[in-house]
Formats: sequence, structure tokens, C-alpha cells
Amino acid sequence: MKHLLECGVKPVDSPVNEKTDQPWTLKRKLFLGLTPGQYLGQALRNPFNWILGIIFAIGLPVIAYRFLFGLSAVTHSSYDYPWGLLLGFGLFTMVPLSASGFMLGTTVEIFGRHDFEPIERLALLNGLLGYFFAVVFLLCDLGQPWRLPYPMVVAFGPAAVLFLVAWHVATYLSVQIAEVSVSFFEWMGWLGGKRFIRRIAIGLTVAGIILSTLHQGALGALFLYAPGKVHPLWFSAPFQWIFFFCSSIPAGLCMVIAVSTIVKKTMAWRCDSNFMDNLDRCTLGIAKGASMALITYLTIKLIGIAHDNEWGYLATGWGLWFLFEIAVAVVLPLCLFAYAIHNQRVGVARLGAFITIFGIVLNRLNTSLIAFNWQLYQEIPHIFEVIMTVTVFCIYIVVYRFILYRLPILFAWKEQPQEALAAEAAKPAPVRTTVSPAGAMYRKID
Amino acid sequence: MSGISRRRFLAASVAGCAATTLAGSKKALAAGSFSGYPDGMGVLVDLTRCIGCRSCEAACNKEQNLPAPNKPFNDKSVFDETFHGGKQKRRPTEKAYTVVNRYDAESASKPVYRKVQCNHCQEPACLSSCFVNAYTKTPEGAVVYNSKVCVGCRNCMIACPFNVPAYSYSSAFDPVIKKCIMCYDTRLKNGLPPACVEICPQEALTFGKRKDLIKIGHQRIQTHPGRYVDHLYGEKELGGTNWMYLSSVPFEEVGFDPNPGNEPIINNVKDFLSTVPMVLAIWPAMFTGFHLLAKKKDGHGDHEHDVEEHHDEEGGAQ
Amino acid sequence: MSAKQILTSLMTVFTFVMAVTVAQAFDDMPDQVSIDVMTQYFDGVEFDHEMHTELGEDCSVCHHHSTGTGTIDDRCVRCHAESNETAEVACSACHAVDTFSAEHINRQAADVYQFHIDTPGLKAAYHWNCIGCHEQMDGPTGCQDCHARTPEGDAFYHVDAQASAAEEGGH
Repeated sequence: MKHLLECGVKPVDSPVNEKTDQPWTLKRKLFLGLTPGQYLGQALRNPFNWILGIIFAIGLPVIAYRFLFGLSAVTHSSYDYPWGLLLGFGLFTMVPLSASGFMLGTTVEIFGRHDFEPIERLALLNGLLGYFFAVVFLLCDLGQPWRLPYPMVVAFGPAAVLFLVAWHVATYLSVQIAEVSVSFFEWMGWLGGKRFIRRIAIGLTVAGIILSTLHQGALGALFLYAPGKVHPLWFSAPFQWIFFFCSSIPAGLCMVIAVSTIVKKTMAWRCDSNFMDNLDRCTLGIAKGASMALITYLTIKLIGIAHDNEWGYLATGWGLWFLFEIAVAVVLPLCLFAYAIHNQRVGVARLGAFITIFGIVLNRLNTSLIAFNWQLYQEIPHIFEVIMTVTVFCIYIVVYRFILYRLPILFAWKEQPQEALAAEAAKPAPVRTTVSPAGAMYRKID
Repeated sequence: MSGISRRRFLAASVAGCAATTLAGSKKALAAGSFSGYPDGMGVLVDLTRCIGCRSCEAACNKEQNLPAPNKPFNDKSVFDETFHGGKQKRRPTEKAYTVVNRYDAESASKPVYRKVQCNHCQEPACLSSCFVNAYTKTPEGAVVYNSKVCVGCRNCMIACPFNVPAYSYSSAFDPVIKKCIMCYDTRLKNGLPPACVEICPQEALTFGKRKDLIKIGHQRIQTHPGRYVDHLYGEKELGGTNWMYLSSVPFEEVGFDPNPGNEPIINNVKDFLSTVPMVLAIWPAMFTGFHLLAKKKDGHGDHEHDVEEHHDEEGGAQ
Repeated sequence: MSAKQILTSLMTVFTFVMAVTVAQAFDDMPDQVSIDVMTQYFDGVEFDHEMHTELGEDCSVCHHHSTGTGTIDDRCVRCHAESNETAEVACSACHAVDTFSAEHINRQAADVYQFHIDTPGLKAAYHWNCIGCHEQMDGPTGCQDCHARTPEGDAFYHVDAQASAAEEGGH
């Protein structure tokens, strides 16, 4: 892409082709305004795509194999470990990492912190794609995935925690689709839809917080069904759902920092000045939020151990592993964030974010796989299951990148001149005008 | 955020939250516990009588039309089989709803044999965790499974404290849970004892009403002092099970979890599920309140926004 | 006839009557018992009753206290030391074949005066009694030592099962 930019090619960022004054067709928009040849060229020159190619060459046949020959083809078919890596990573880890949607939505819309608006759309997209692919992972893991809608329409077991998870994830996906649809409608030029969504934005955001609180907690509550099976240091009868909910907050926030870092390093051409100029400030702001959530999580974990008098377990092998997880997932990022915020070092904050994400992955895999059945044998996932997990995650990356290239997430969609004039004409003459220098940095969505 | 009138805001919030309330509505959980259907049948398994002949496994295989086994049912070498590095004995599988294991317990002079199968709990964990209501606790006492609605989430396998349900992973297009159903369809419904009970030459399995079996179990302990550990396993454990055990050696020596607690598994999630309607009720007002408090009417920052909102409200041309 | 002669005659008659009475008591004791009520998977047993009566110390070793000859079982002797012979001495009189049928369970539940609850069914009664003693006296203890499997029994136990490639039994 850099090569093309040097040649003077500009990717689509407005409804009208500035050179020809014709509106872009959908097909040209999909190709970013490049010719198919140019587009293919830039794709082939990208080394990351070569790695993806290898992964897909191995992984896509494995996925087909799973659906043609059943789960026994790609897993250990374990009766004692019915949930493996596909769920342990795909559901239990992807969902907290996608908590960014409701976090940034609440920050901007509910608490009115519009200084985070430049990064809000990225956080919403992160949330949507994370949940969507959590469902994709689930479809790969379910015994009969075509029956996914059953708890919605066919048979109800409302006393089951998973019932809550199913309904809330389905509803929350709808909420997130609506929230991200603002960008989509802008890109397609369907401004009526965009205005409708903006009107119900508060309602959507509040619904998002409610749903997220409950289903982030519910994923933790799922392990309450197996109190003897999860090691006591990762299990708390009264607090399990609070642990999962509280840890989802830094997970989502750090995922935004991580994705924005990757975007800044690899897709800088797609980001407009509003995004790039505010990114460091937003990153540090998010890091502040994440640190508060992390220190809270540390505190409640200690309360949990004290509550069940589990101090003795810390002296065991499992205890050391637990202390390692806390040290790496919580304490180390806290130190990094504290240093970064105090000294305004964005790079250190970014490092802290990546380490937090590793820590969240570790915590969820510990609870669902490693410290699960701790009194039985240890199960290592089947290599095909690992391959499938990596492949689906790469598909997630590809879809993520596809959307970020096109939709106005990282950049502002330039309004058509006629539309801008019409909007201006509709407004009455302002009585009082104050234009503060800070105000110019804040982007109006509408 | 563009200007928004109070009326429009309330309408939108209600619309936005309607989906949440619909999504989150639950049946009210009864505060009490379930003490079982009064005439529920059960089976008393007396480990002092079992000789490990495995006729029960053969009878189950025939009654439930299970596939042919790898070894004959009168082959006792299966008792030496171990799995996962010698740590696990045999367990029920998709092809064998019940297995008998041999335990060379320290406190016993001869081996003790135990029959393993679904214990048909009074308040089953599998039933509690199923989000499509695939399990039913029948009045006859059996816990049965409906494969027509099962999605294959395998939460029941996570929940079962006895690790009983097996899954037919090998089936690509119709994988389902496989477990003992107490011969409900073919026998229990018609007033007949399960196949394993009928075939047992030693009457290690006694079939009757659960409430009577409890009395019989305690009477056996009293009538034969010293023969049994003074405990009827399953009488109270995990809310009570319909298949109960008597043993001559401590239960942990024959593969039981000695302290699973007397609470049914569903009690572990009741507190969380009670929180759900509270969150649904409190969060909307709380966060809407935060929003209203966060909107600054005058002063500090965000001047341009406030001004524009004010004007949009006046203009009303949105 | 002298007094001595009369006494001798009376003694002879008395002895004869006693002998007949005693003989009568063991008259319906069978030499062979065909146990063939549950013969689906195993053949019936031709039980040598006469041989066992010579081996056993007392009828009550197998028949508890129902033969009218007293009992050596500690748990029965308190009440049944002097009991008469019951109408039916055969095992199947008290140990039911259909021990877990609905009828039998309901019958037992309805009989509130029944002293013996938790009595085993016929199959278990045979196995406990017979194998218990055989284990102590080096008698036959294997399944087929007493009753051979029928062809249906061979199919039931899958005696021809071949080990397949997949592992059986777990996990």
C-alpha cells in the first residue's frame, strides 16, 4: 500500500471520487478505489498475507475435516474434558477481549467523555468482531451447530446459566451491529439509517452495559456448575462471576490499545489526522482506566482467597502457577501503566496492554482447561484443535482488516459537498459562537 | 452527541432496553428445594454382594442396543485396564452406559467391585445446566434425555459431579449424549426393573421405591454390624440420588468423592441467577442517571457541544 | 402271653410306628431337584439334593428354620428353635422369582406384618447359599461349573468379541 500511496493513489474516503466527480460505486469502494490489479498487487506484496496463506492452506482443510467427520476427528473426544481449546480460547477468552464495545461506548455516550471519540468506533468494531467470532468458534465446537437457535426458539431451559449467555450474546450482537452500523451506513451513503441509530444511541449503550455485565459474569458463573473440578485458587463460589466481569474491563480496554497500536504500525495510511493525533492521549487515558480495573481485580482476588481461607494452596505447585499468573497478568501491567502514565510514555503503556492481554488469555485458559479437573490427569489439546483455533483467529484478523480498510472507523468519511451545504442550511444562525482551540480537535459524528 | 429531546431520549431508551428485558426474562426460581417425587424408584447397590461378573454390563448392552464390545462381558481382564497414565479406571462411555470396576482396597481382604452408572439424582446437575431443557427428572425416578433438542454444548458433562454423561463425538451429523436412563423407555415406564437389576445373580442391585430403599439400606447396616460402613452414599449427597450405595470399605477407597456436599449443584448458581433481575432493573436507571449527571449544563469544557445541542433542540430539524 | 411278651410286642409296634413316622417326615425329601426356572442364558441345574443332605450338618444350613428339625442359625434360633415344618419347604416358596416386579414390590409394601423384609429373590438366594458354602468347602464356584451357558447366553456375553483398533472403556 505504501508503494501505491507513493505513486499518488488515494484510497476511498468520501462518497465521491474527487478526480472524476462521480460517486464511487460499491465495487470500487470495495477495492478502495484501486483497480483490481493494483489491489491484488498490494495484497501479494504484503508479507503478512504470505503467513496467512500458509495458515489457511493448512487450517481450512482441518476445519472442513471437522465438519465432515465430527469432533472426534479434531479433538481428543474427551468425556472428562468436554470443553477444549476451541471454547477455552474462542469463547472464554475472545468474549472478555471484546468488552471494549461497552467500555468505550459507556465512556463516550454515558459519561460524556467525547475526548475518546476518535477511538470509539475502533473499540465498537473490536467488540462486534470479537463476539461475532466467539460465535463462530462456538459453531465450530458445538456438536450440532445447526441447532444454535434452539435455545432461542425451540426449547427453553431458563434456569441454566448458559441460557442467559446465549440470549445475551445474541441480543448484544444485535446491539453492537447497530452501533457499528453507523459507520456502515456512512460508507454506503444511507444517512437515514445512520440518523436513526444515533437517536437511540443512549438506549443501545445502556442495553450494552446491562448485557455485558450479565454475560461476562455468566461465563464465570458457568464454572459454578463444577465446584469440585476447578482448582480452588481459580474458583470462588460467591465471587466467580465478579472475577470474570471485573477482569473483562482491563481485557477490553487493553485490546483497544493493542489493536490501535497494530493499526498505527501497519495501517497508518488509513488513519486520518484526528485519529493519529489523539491516539497517544487516548491510549494513556485508556491505560488509566485499565489500571484502576486491574488494581480492583487484584484486590478482589485477594478477598476471594481470604474468604475461602485458601492461603495454604499458595504454597503448592498450583499456588506458584497462580502467583505467576497474578504477577504477569496483573502486577506487571500495573507497574508498567503506573510508570507510563506518570511519565507520559505511551510505548510503555502499549507494552503493558499486550502483557495484560496475555494475562487474560492465561487466566481464562487456566480456569477452563489447565486448572480444570486439577485432581484428574492433565489434558493437552489435540494438534488439530490448536490448528483450528489459530485458523479461525486468522480469519477474524482478515475480516477485521477488511473492514478497517474500508469503513470510516479510523478516518472520517468526508461528507459530500451538497450534503454539507444542506446540513448547514438547516441550522438556524447561531446566537453565540465560541470556537475553542480544543474544540477543533473533537469530531462531530453527525 | 447531537441534540436529543427528553421525550425522544426516553422513548429510545425504552426501545433499547426492551430487548434486554425480553432477553433476560427468567422463570422465577423457587426458593425451596426438591425432595423428590414420592413414588420415585431407585436402586440400592450393595458393594458387599457384587462379584464382578459383569452380567449387568451385558444386560445393559442388550437392552439399549449398544454396539458389540471389544472384549467379552465375562472377560475379567478389563479390570486391569487403566487410562491416562494409570490414573483412571474405566468409566461409562458412548458404547457402555455402565461399567464395573475392581478396587483392591486397603481395608478389605478381597477385591471390592463397584458398578458405575448415572446416579439419577433428585436435583440433577445435568438438568440444571441444560439450556434447552433436554433432561427430565421423571416421576418414576429416572433422569432421561431428549436427543431431539440437544445442541451439543456439553455443559451437562461439565456439571455432572460424577462425570457420567458421555458424548458420541464420533458421529459427524448426530452426536448426542449417551448415559444410563434406568431403562425408562423399555422397562421403568411399564413398571419393570432395569435390565441390570434383573440379571444380577447376586442381587447386588435392589430395586424399589427410593424412600423404602433408604430404610432397607439402614436396616442392612443395623442387621449386619461390622459388615458395612455406616453410611448410605447418595441418601443426602448432592441433594440425594436415586441410586445409592452401601460399602464394606470407606467410600473414597472405591472411587467415590467422599465429600461432595449435600447441596444439589443448582444451588451453586442460584445466587448469581438471583442477581440477574436486579442488574436488569437497576442498571438502566443507574447508567441513565450517570449520563444525565455527566451532561454539563454550563461551564467547564465541551462548550461547543453544549452550544450545538442547544441549537439543534431549537432547530428540531433532525 | 406273658407280660414280657406283651411288652416286647408293644415296643416293636412302637418302634415300627416311630420309624414310619420318621420315614414319613423325610418321605417327600427329593433326591434330585431340577432348578430350571431362569434358563434363558444358562442351562438349568440338576441339583443332587441327597448328596448335599449327607454333606450338610443340618437342614437349616440351607432351609433356615422351615424343615421342622430345629435350626443352627443364631439369628433364627431365638424364635424358631421349636418351629414345625412349614407347608412348603422348597426355596421358591419364600424366595420369589419375580422379586422386583411391580406386583411383588406392592405386595411386600402392603404386608405390614411381614417380619422378613429385604429377602433376596430366588436367583440371589441360590447363589448366596450355594456359593457361600462352596467357597468354604472347595465346591464349584465358577458360573459354568454349575450351569453351562446356552447359545443365547454366549451371544449375551459376546464371548466372540474381538478387540477392535479403538480402545474400549474410557475417556
